[in-house]
Amino acid sequence: MTLQQQIRSNRWRTLLLFILFAVLIALVLGAASLAVDLPVLILIGAGMLVYGIVTWFAAGSLVATLAGATPVTREEYPELWQAVEAAAVGAGLAVTPRVYVIQDPAPNAFASGRDPKHSYVAATTGLLEIMPQRELRAVMAHEIAHVRNRDIRTMALAAVLVGLLLILSDILLRVLVFGGGRDNQNPLALIGTVVALILAPIGAVMMQMALSRRREYQADASAAEITGDPEGMARALGILDTDTRQVRHVARATAHLYIESPLVKGKGLFGSLGGMFRTHPPMEARIAALEEAGGFVLDRESLAADMPAGVVTTVQELS
Amino acid sequence: MFTLIIVVAIVVVLVFYAVFLYNRLVRLRVEVQQGWSNIDVQLRRRYELIPNLIESVKGYAAHERGVFQAVTEARTGAMSANGPVATGLANNALASALGGLFAVAENYPDLKASNNFLQLQTELANVEEMLAASRRYYNSTVASYNATQNTAPTLLVAKVGDFAPAEFFEEENEAARTAPRVSFDQ
Repeated sequence: MTLQQQIRSNRWRTLLLFILFAVLIALVLGAASLAVDLPVLILIGAGMLVYGIVTWFAAGSLVATLAGATPVTREEYPELWQAVEAAAVGAGLAVTPRVYVIQDPAPNAFASGRDPKHSYVAATTGLLEIMPQRELRAVMAHEIAHVRNRDIRTMALAAVLVGLLLILSDILLRVLVFGGGRDNQNPLALIGTVVALILAPIGAVMMQMALSRRREYQADASAAEITGDPEGMARALGILDTDTRQVRHVARATAHLYIESPLVKGKGLFGSLGGMFRTHPPMEARIAALEEAGGFVLDRESLAADMPAGVVTTVQELS
Repeated sequence: MFTLIIVVAIVVVLVFYAVFLYNRLVRLRVEVQQGWSNIDVQLRRRYELIPNLIESVKGYAAHERGVFQAVTEARTGAMSANGPVATGLANNALASALGGLFAVAENYPDLKASNNFLQLQTELANVEEMLAASRRYYNSTVASYNATQNTAPTLLVAKVGDFAPAEFFEEENEAARTAPRVSFDQ
């Protein structure tokens, strides 16, 4: 897929995403109208609309706040800046995205913003600590690829809409439970409404996941093109996979933004449900895709031998 | 009457299609120009660093005049070169002259340890990295621009619209110019 095709496909996906969510929200409101009074519903609907518009324009900074990312200067993090700038130039971006850092020992990174001109890339202090120069460049190129391929817009919209739907069904459920419902309720309609309100957000989250999985492969491939070094990308993924630490401040709605899934690896409900709720393809599959495209085989033994000192491989206690 | 309408419709569709193809070529050409201006920025940064670098080395090895002169001349040559191919070749010469300068610097431990020299070296390395990145991007835009010009049906529009193939920018060697768009050099 060429870059133009990819951008176009992203545009279509954004539209499709929007329509699907509109349908889901209409369904939720429709289901709620069976059990909740109309004025209450209209009030909630109007509130949601305002909320949606505000979060869309604040999406970038909101995601940064949720993740605990703060802007940094070139003097503070010269190597990170250089890696971001080189990747931006290699990707042909007109504007270099802003650079953010998250104070977190777990290695991870993400890019966000509405469009390439209003975008930023964020890296955790853990990533900067353990990633050698070559692999740091690959990770930043992966993030820049998300910016260039316009993934960030689709992903920001997904984050806003998922958040919206989660809040909407939450409010409606509360209204149903704590009054505000109609007096002459049909119990069957009430049950139907509750089920719809519970299922809708699950559907929304699954949609969000399906959208983000494929673009991780694409961003890996684009990053290899930007740096001209697919093996560096594969090595970076290998290091990320080896390190077992998880980022602390992650909202479910922003999980799909990170280079490596920030959610607990293979544990609990999300882990046991398998691929359905996964925001990212398995690392092995991503490395294999890079190997095939780049015509090399990642030397896992040598990678394991010169694994950076800061990498933590012990399984941590879940707090 | 009916056939006339059909003919007019076909002509209109064809004209619209030609305009669409023309616009695509124009867009690709703009991308190539932007790619080149990125390279230009980095090349200028490189040219600006060189006098400082020479001054820094001069402070420790004033008698190595031959090397300084070679670098200065290569720099002047690179700055006056026009077009990607000529600029690439001139910068090849500049790179090898710079190699000579750094080889000289190797013989002066005090120089190698000096902050000023170390900083200039880091800055030059950063510029080289950005230059390599902008070159990769530029060459990929050239590749898609030229490929679009050479494939039907854009071929016809390109001929009529006076589009010329763009030149690749290669610093290392001539042979690499035929390399595929995605190069996997380490």
